[in-house]
Amino acid sequence: MQRGTILNLLSGAMLAGGVYLLAGVLYANPSLTMSLKGGVWGVILLALSAGLSWWLTSSMQKSGRELRRQLECVSNRGQSRVDCSRPDLRPVAKAINQLIEEVEQTINAANLKTRELQIELKVANAARQHAEAIIYSISDAVLVTDQFDEMMLANDAAARTFDFDLKGSRRSPIDRVLGDQRIVEMVRDMRQSDSRGGRRVVEHELRTPAGPRTFKVTLSTVSDQSESACGVVAVLHDMTREKEVAQMKNDFVSNVSHELRTPLASIRAYVEMLIDGEASDEKTRDEFYEVIQNEAGRLGRLIDNILNISRIESGLVKVNKQPLSLMVIAKEAIEVIAPQAALKNIRIEEKLGSMIYQTLGDRDMLYQAMLNLLSNAVKYTPDGGTVTVQTDVDVAGRTVSARISDTGVGIGPKDLPFVFDKFYRAEANNRMAKGTGLGLSLVKHVVEVVHQGRTIAQSEVGKGSTFGFELELID
Amino acid sequence: MSEKTILVADDETHILHVVSLKLRNAGYRVLTAQDGMEALELALHERPDLVITDYHMPQLSGIELCQKLKADPLTTGIPAIMLTARGYHLEPHDTEQSGILRMISKPFSPRQLLSTVNEVLLNAA
Repeated sequence: MQRGTILNLLSGAMLAGGVYLLAGVLYANPSLTMSLKGGVWGVILLALSAGLSWWLTSSMQKSGRELRRQLECVSNRGQSRVDCSRPDLRPVAKAINQLIEEVEQTINAANLKTRELQIELKVANAARQHAEAIIYSISDAVLVTDQFDEMMLANDAAARTFDFDLKGSRRSPIDRVLGDQRIVEMVRDMRQSDSRGGRRVVEHELRTPAGPRTFKVTLSTVSDQSESACGVVAVLHDMTREKEVAQMKNDFVSNVSHELRTPLASIRAYVEMLIDGEASDEKTRDEFYEVIQNEAGRLGRLIDNILNISRIESGLVKVNKQPLSLMVIAKEAIEVIAPQAALKNIRIEEKLGSMIYQTLGDRDMLYQAMLNLLSNAVKYTPDGGTVTVQTDVDVAGRTVSARISDTGVGIGPKDLPFVFDKFYRAEANNRMAKGTGLGLSLVKHVVEVVHQGRTIAQSEVGKGSTFGFELELID
Repeated sequence: MSEKTILVADDETHILHVVSLKLRNAGYRVLTAQDGMEALELALHERPDLVITDYHMPQLSGIELCQKLKADPLTTGIPAIMLTARGYHLEPHDTEQSGILRMISKPFSPRQLLSTVNEVLLNAA
């Protein structure tokens, strides 16, 4: 456009110059004017026009070639600008250079934006991977769904809980992935409720491959910028064990209070009977005194047991290890428990090995553990049964052991793995005799934590149980 | 007045002994049982005027024993007193379903137990 204007101007100026020159010559020579009239004038004007045309065309071609060369240099040889030194090209070159500058600025801005976006993408990817790593490492089951109730993300815990294939689940509708319809409904309701940033906590029992478990399900909506829920995050915390522990603690308080009240009830009743003179003869009075004394002893032992376990477990009791023989400790415990066994007509059979084999242990704690095992054996053995106390040495295996077997009710395989747990009481035992669920827990702590030994528990329902422990043999 | 019969059920021998003695000294005829099943059989056979039972017993708990007695036409009218070492509160439906009129917490006073027994039997007469 600019180029055309310039050429028009140039050709116009030259034509005007030529006409002016010719008019001047003709004015100075009037005679010539006359003779040249007619065809001559036409020829001159034609020649002038042709010359002018040729000059103009050649000049334009030259400028064009130069311009093309310059542009090639810009595009191919890294030249940054078109040369503006030639007067004929100057206006065009300036315009082109301005255009080049504008394009360069646009390209630079785009490059900058691209780099920024690349960095943002890398950061976002790293953040996503980090978030996924966190989700995968969470022990609670995590499910993330989108606005179509399709699975976007789930962790291993979720796959285990709902028993589905983690890889194949992505982008699948959750009602196909999750076997539990109630959870599917919860997720759907949560998304449809459209409560932005809302949260619901529901307790839900789920059938898992490991059996029925109770979960605390926390549902939260994920919202996009349009403020409508575009997905749901469900976190399932397995609270089965917590509930069991809470229940065991409640039972424990109830059991302990029951256990403490029972001997106290006897003491109070017998004392009142003595005061009221209800015991008519000396023999009855002596009998009452004995009951009071025995029940006071029972109460004392119970309180000791409760206190011991909490003191030993909290590390308040100083451990004092010395070489000792389990045989000696067993003998002491048998002596203490014998009257209790005699009341039920239970025979205590002693199979005690040599006292020369020793272990390094805390005498008081091991005595308490032995007493608890013996007391349990007597408690759960019916009248007229037998309790066998056996101490052994395994020289090759470098261990000494104590085993107490009874002819009692036995413990089922369902309960056996848990008998050493604090507050745990097998249902069958609960009906057979009263207890706090602390005795075996203390044994386990003393043997395993204090002495790094091993507890032994074998049982057969209806035949009896063997409880005991193994400790390291010393020279 | 004919001699009233009271059935006492408790798996704690000492408690069973002391309660029996207190009631016998007061002139009652006393039957004893050491678990719920034994108590149920005795109650059906002897039809006592009152049952005093422990809450926690082997075989059959005190509550189960009383419910069975209430359900059986032969023993349905027998009032019951429950002794318990657990913090158990007597609810109106307990009385309806099991005939338990009073709950006595262990440790208890035999003197107080006797006065409760007298009161319950007097009201039942």
